[in-house]
Amino acid sequence: MDFALDDDQALIVQTVRRFVDKDLRAWAGDADRAAEAPGKLATVAGDLGFYLDAVPEAAGGLLDGAYGHVTRALRGLELGRGCSAMAALLECNVEPALAVARWGSDAAKAELFASLAAGGLATTGRDSRGALTLSADGDGVRVTGKVGPLPALGRASHVLLCATLDGAPVALLVATAGQRVAAQAPSAWRAAAWGTLTLEHALVPASHVVARGADAVALIGAWYRASLAARAAGVAVAAMEHARHYASERVQFGQPIGRFESLIGLRDDALTAATAARLMALHAAWLCDRATDGASIAAAADAASRARVVAGDAVRQATVDAVQIYGGYGFVNDYPVEKLMRDARPYEQLFGDERFDRVLADPDRAGGI
Amino acid sequence: MDIFHDNAMLAGVRQMLGAFAKQYIRPVAMKHDREESMPWALMKQAQAFGMTQTAVVDGRKALTGKDDEEGANKPKSQSRLGVVGSEELAYGCAGVCLAIGGSGLAASPVARMGTEEQKQEFRRLLKGDDEHGHIKVAAMALSEPSTGSDISGLSTTARPDGDHFVINGHKQWITNGQSAAAYVVWAQTDPSAGRAGVRGFLVARGTPGLIPGRKEHKLGIRASETAQVHFEDCRVHKDMMLGIGASSEGLGDTKKMLDSTRPMVGAQAVGIARAAFDYLVERVQGGTIHGTALKQHQHVAFELAEMEMEIQAARALVHKSAWMADHGQDNVRMASIAKAYGAKVAQDVTARALTLLGEEALEPDHPVEKWYRDAKIYDIFEGTGQIQRRIIARSILGVNAT
Repeated sequence: MDFALDDDQALIVQTVRRFVDKDLRAWAGDADRAAEAPGKLATVAGDLGFYLDAVPEAAGGLLDGAYGHVTRALRGLELGRGCSAMAALLECNVEPALAVARWGSDAAKAELFASLAAGGLATTGRDSRGALTLSADGDGVRVTGKVGPLPALGRASHVLLCATLDGAPVALLVATAGQRVAAQAPSAWRAAAWGTLTLEHALVPASHVVARGADAVALIGAWYRASLAARAAGVAVAAMEHARHYASERVQFGQPIGRFESLIGLRDDALTAATAARLMALHAAWLCDRATDGASIAAAADAASRARVVAGDAVRQATVDAVQIYGGYGFVNDYPVEKLMRDARPYEQLFGDERFDRVLADPDRAGGI
Repeated sequence: MDIFHDNAMLAGVRQMLGAFAKQYIRPVAMKHDREESMPWALMKQAQAFGMTQTAVVDGRKALTGKDDEEGANKPKSQSRLGVVGSEELAYGCAGVCLAIGGSGLAASPVARMGTEEQKQEFRRLLKGDDEHGHIKVAAMALSEPSTGSDISGLSTTARPDGDHFVINGHKQWITNGQSAAAYVVWAQTDPSAGRAGVRGFLVARGTPGLIPGRKEHKLGIRASETAQVHFEDCRVHKDMMLGIGASSEGLGDTKKMLDSTRPMVGAQAVGIARAAFDYLVERVQGGTIHGTALKQHQHVAFELAEMEMEIQAARALVHKSAWMADHGQDNVRMASIAKAYGAKVAQDVTARALTLLGEEALEPDHPVEKWYRDAKIYDIFEGTGQIQRRIIARSILGVNAT
């Protein structure tokens, strides 16, 4: 048991932290108002190895050997401190790339990796409430319904779609070309190039049915949730960094408001929750790195799911309380915390919200306490 | 004790404003949230329903067409009327509710402490339309950049100069601050007198030295305008000082004013919570998850039960605090309880609703997401949640805890 980072991890954390503090935080407000990430994000982040970190070297990417989910979680903690929207863009290629590399056909690999290597984006979604209609068509699958809103979908060439076919989970690689994609700018992660994809009896060919069965979808969910949890913990930490700075300068009733016990309590509760979320996210990522068979995949999925529950609660409360500590200034756009409060929601909601996920949709847990 | 529902007049107001909220406010609420614009057309329509910008000065007759009951039954205030109406309007949209009712914040001290002449001046300033064809509104300017929770630190000054006062200072987070035709601004007339030296002044738009400032971009209640207001050597005649003579308690006047509006603010929070609750009930009634009815799941049904408990409790507290005011009872503690608990419930119910809705609430312009953003201000303005707890704790223990 060792909580220390290895040299590579320490270097990555340091590098990403510098990028976050110098660039992401500086860009976040304008990107939010414009509902668009700045063009320089792709250049700067590309130089740091984002976007292609999960694409195999042989296919034009940067991945040599096994992917490191713990390292990704450590990076996510830093990215969350910067900007949720841009973090989502920087992380969105990972699941599609890993899933296609692990289970996909040569045709799917060639198509997705060529697109990503050329600067394209991919994203991941899940039909968590059974709203899509899927039917078999030979070895392919036909899909009808609306996918999303999902971050990056407004610009993505592909969606890794987790859904259910005849009662069994499937993971499909859906190309967006020629399909109806609508760009969106909701109030959360506004610069994340959100979009919806409306499919009408769209054929996903056999070559793009990436995986069939519960294990693959569970593992994709574990990757996605562990990453969400890590970023959420980072947002919670950032909220209190801002609040603490403000509370040390704002004087009311003759003292900095940060000295009032009620606000110290808000900060401590937030940091306690963020610390729990951080450790759970790292543990889930550690299990993802070791998920090879059904039992280890189930353990990773379980840990990631729980990490996301804790992280979702932590980020919601921390950002609400940061706004509270800022008071009237927290409610206006000149200060960073109202954006953080808006940005907290998708961490709870993406990839199937945890309440339904855990209590209603999981056959094991629905079997009883 | 059914303190509200056996009252025909209040039931009528609830029904009328509830219908107004559904038919007129809801259809435009999202547009004004998106555009961050005042609902001027709707505010004009509201006048036809009796929701005039001078209603607080004019009294109950303006809204109900009836004079106050005379004799022993005459209420000491219109708090119950206020909470019933506020809840319904905020059920439609809290931002629109504040746009319609924001002038009441300025009208309240005029009604409470103003002379007949000052009331007439207030009515005159708000009469007719402005150059844009908009109805005229009023603004109450108390908070300052450095004076939020702790209003005793007011730095805006009103220096006597012959028959005038000369006002200097900056005001922050002022509802209707950019558009108002009339301002009630609070300033220190005599720094050596401390809290006793604070007075409110009625100032007309266009008065030299009154400079409406920048409009804020906000997380919620975006249909209500919030702006800075600057005063630079702004000369105001001494006849426009509120609370002339012995009738003013200085800064205490503003505290009384805040005490009197807290039940209404709590009622608005209840309105937001109810909006989210009703939305969810409708959604759950017809909704399915993986082919099973949502309403058959305890996990969903019990959440609704929890929300309903919270909403009923919050409304009962709001009603009790208003009832106490109308019966001349000291409701300072109860008004703070009602306001703080209402804010907590509005935040909690909207957050729970978002969690239950899951991914569908990520759609742009989702009403529950808007209500979640709107709810947050109820824990901040008109005294933060911390200030309410300070007031409640002081009333229990007799000291200010830090």
